[in-house]
Amino acid sequence: MPPSMLATSETASAALADQRAGKYLTFQLANEEFGIRVLKVREIMGLQEITAVPQTPVHIKGVINLRGKVVPVVDLRLKFGIPAAEYSQRTCIIVTQVRAESGQVLMGIVVDGVSDVLTLNGSEIEDTPDFGQDTAGQYLLGMAKVKGKVKILLDIDKVLSAQDLRNLNSIIEK
Amino acid sequence: MPDLAELRRQIGELALQAVMADPDDGSGGATPPPWKPALERLYELAERERAGAIAAATAALMGIVGRNTSADEMQTGIIRLQEALDLEAAGRQPAPFAPAQDRELVSDFVLESREHLATIEAQVLTLERDPHDSEALNAVFRGFHTIKGLAGFLELWEVQRLAHEVETVLDCARNATLAITPAAVDVILESSDELRVWMAHVESGLNDSASAAPPLNEPLLARVRALAAEPAAAAATADLAQMAASVEAPDAVESPEAVDAVEAVEAPSIPAPEAAAAVRTEGSGGRRAAEAMAVRVDTAKLDSLVDMAGEMVIAQSLVRHDPELGSIKTPRFQRNMAQLARITAELQKTAMAMRLVPVGPVFRRMERLVRDLARQFGKQVEMETQGEEIELDRTIVEELADPLMHMIRNALDHGIESPSERERAGKNPVARLLLKGRHHAGQVVIEITDDGKGLDRERIAAKAVQKGLMASADSLSDAEVYNLIFHPGFSTAAQVTNVSGRGVGMDVVRRHVEKLRGRIEIRSTMGRGATFLIKVPLTLAIIDGLVVGVGRERYIAPLFSVREVLRPTAEMLWTVQQRSEMALIRGELVPVVRLYRKFQVPPLSEDPLRSVLLVAEVEGRKFCVLVDELIGKQEVVIKTLGETFKDVPGIAGGAILGDGRVGLILDMDRLFREGLDDARH
Repeated sequence: MPPSMLATSETASAALADQRAGKYLTFQLANEEFGIRVLKVREIMGLQEITAVPQTPVHIKGVINLRGKVVPVVDLRLKFGIPAAEYSQRTCIIVTQVRAESGQVLMGIVVDGVSDVLTLNGSEIEDTPDFGQDTAGQYLLGMAKVKGKVKILLDIDKVLSAQDLRNLNSIIEK
Repeated sequence: MPDLAELRRQIGELALQAVMADPDDGSGGATPPPWKPALERLYELAERERAGAIAAATAALMGIVGRNTSADEMQTGIIRLQEALDLEAAGRQPAPFAPAQDRELVSDFVLESREHLATIEAQVLTLERDPHDSEALNAVFRGFHTIKGLAGFLELWEVQRLAHEVETVLDCARNATLAITPAAVDVILESSDELRVWMAHVESGLNDSASAAPPLNEPLLARVRALAAEPAAAAATADLAQMAASVEAPDAVESPEAVDAVEAVEAPSIPAPEAAAAVRTEGSGGRRAAEAMAVRVDTAKLDSLVDMAGEMVIAQSLVRHDPELGSIKTPRFQRNMAQLARITAELQKTAMAMRLVPVGPVFRRMERLVRDLARQFGKQVEMETQGEEIELDRTIVEELADPLMHMIRNALDHGIESPSERERAGKNPVARLLLKGRHHAGQVVIEITDDGKGLDRERIAAKAVQKGLMASADSLSDAEVYNLIFHPGFSTAAQVTNVSGRGVGMDVVRRHVEKLRGRIEIRSTMGRGATFLIKVPLTLAIIDGLVVGVGRERYIAPLFSVREVLRPTAEMLWTVQQRSEMALIRGELVPVVRLYRKFQVPPLSEDPLRSVLLVAEVEGRKFCVLVDELIGKQEVVIKTLGETFKDVPGIAGGAILGDGRVGLILDMDRLFREGLDDARH
């Protein structure tokens, strides 16, 4: 590979890393740590009564009342195919603002517990290794290594996009 | 390339005059400055030289001159003239539509112009039945004048030109040199239609899907001009005399003879209409006064306000029922809590009412329709509207226009007889049509009453049998027979006209109204007339719901589709082929949907005898929904569940219940269709 091309690809990946730099809210799911951009987070609330909506995929827990707005809630464990766990004192709902076809919508995600807010710079973020087509690779922004621990950075827009959920529905129905 | 030298000279002269003019001398004083002739000369010249921009700018100036025009306005007009001249000199035609304009400005213009056009139409109709209503005349004049001014500002020359010509006609009417005849009304209404076409064009330009610019309707323009010119020519000599007359005896101008005379002048050129419609409105004077001050608010803000008000009611009720506070028994605390409850309730009511708008504008559109149709059918109709101030949700008002239009067409086409037929039947040849809005039991009822021939039971029944809808109609009540006209593909019109009789009318009307959660009823007396009643809710945002429980879940059944609620007995329930269930209710076998089965929710009890049956009705057909318990009745604000749940069968939306939880609203329509399918398969 000619050195000039190498340089270009390095700058490109550096630019990508820079775009991803910023503050992340990290949370646990089973024994893994995930992070989502703080800018996407509207609020964090303790678990509250969720109204189940019939005939929807299992990972969609239902809807909650967020100060007069009806907000759908997704159980991220189930969404990622991690076995369900009993909800505990630490379980909480992160209300995120995600991009949907009709603009910005609020959506809640149920996680095992919220850990921290981290400021990550570009050099701490690495591209996702290629897991192949079938894994959740498409939902990931990258991986961050902080103090020897790996945090998986999620692109929450893609995780929760209605399009994706609908695709999932059709798979489930089959 | 137009010859600009002469134009330049004339404009220069005008500018000089404007500078010299006494600023106080525009107030309709004894000697109006000689603007008009100079401007008219300029206009003619510009037209001849095909200098469109100058002609338009002149036209604009002609519109404002002579009426309380301030020196400033005059100056601006002349500056515009000079700009137009420069433009012409640069050899550059102004774009017919100015896309570079501020989009917001243009969209405001379209919005505002449409409002003006609506006012114009209403007032022109007022004017038609009372040509001497100077207030209405002024309102129409102001409407065109404003549109003209705005169009000039946005360089929409064609719009401006047409508006200007109509304004000239109206000015003649204001000066009593022209009588407002039905023919004149026709021309004015056509012009306003033409302007609407232009508004649509301008609007399409905003959406980057610019439609081809409609050609300026020259024949119409010519007719408008002819209207203005004709009496002017006839009255030119009489002008002075008339002015004198109006000073001496203002009433003389308004005497019928004077009007007749003017009409006689016009008669040869424009044939008098054979039939006419008159529109009468109760308290039309009050209506004008009631054009209240208004603020445009983003609906998202409004929705948020409604949400917050709803939450406040819930928070208030949580505080009120807090056990610790409950132990406080002091009268002062009780009084304050009651006050808080009152205020929150009032706040919620006000927030909800902000979405409501009066039905008046839709009624006024119908007035116009009645007038046009009456002429087209050669029928004489006097229309009356009542209850224009009744308020409804904005969406409902908009959605009501179509069904109303259909029904009024039907009334005029099928219901109301021709004048000669009416005379033979011993009725007043002028038919009456009443459009009335009123409140009834928390709903709004819109009535369309005509005194035509009414619905013909025998013909409807015969038609239904012929179409194979039924074997015989003998056992049906009158109301049931009338309801047959809502059947798709049903039409009794002997003759297919271009307005009705294609059989796509009434079923569409019913579907429309049902979409608004409303209902239609018909009352009719053979030979005496018919009344169509449309009952719609005040708003689509709130429904009265029955809160029902299945297991731990709470659902809301819309009250409008629930006919009765009962606890089944063993002899009521029947199983058909071990699969589908039926309930025998008052001798009628009604299919049953078990909600816990449909939604796969563990119920409190699977024994139907310990459950509750909701008897619901959808599109005239009954079915039952089996639930565990009936919890209560609540008025709820409907909320969408968003994209994630946009297609959940059996669920129409969500609502916040009294305890702050979300309850799901049942979609009875789909439960009915799909629930029964499931049971069958």
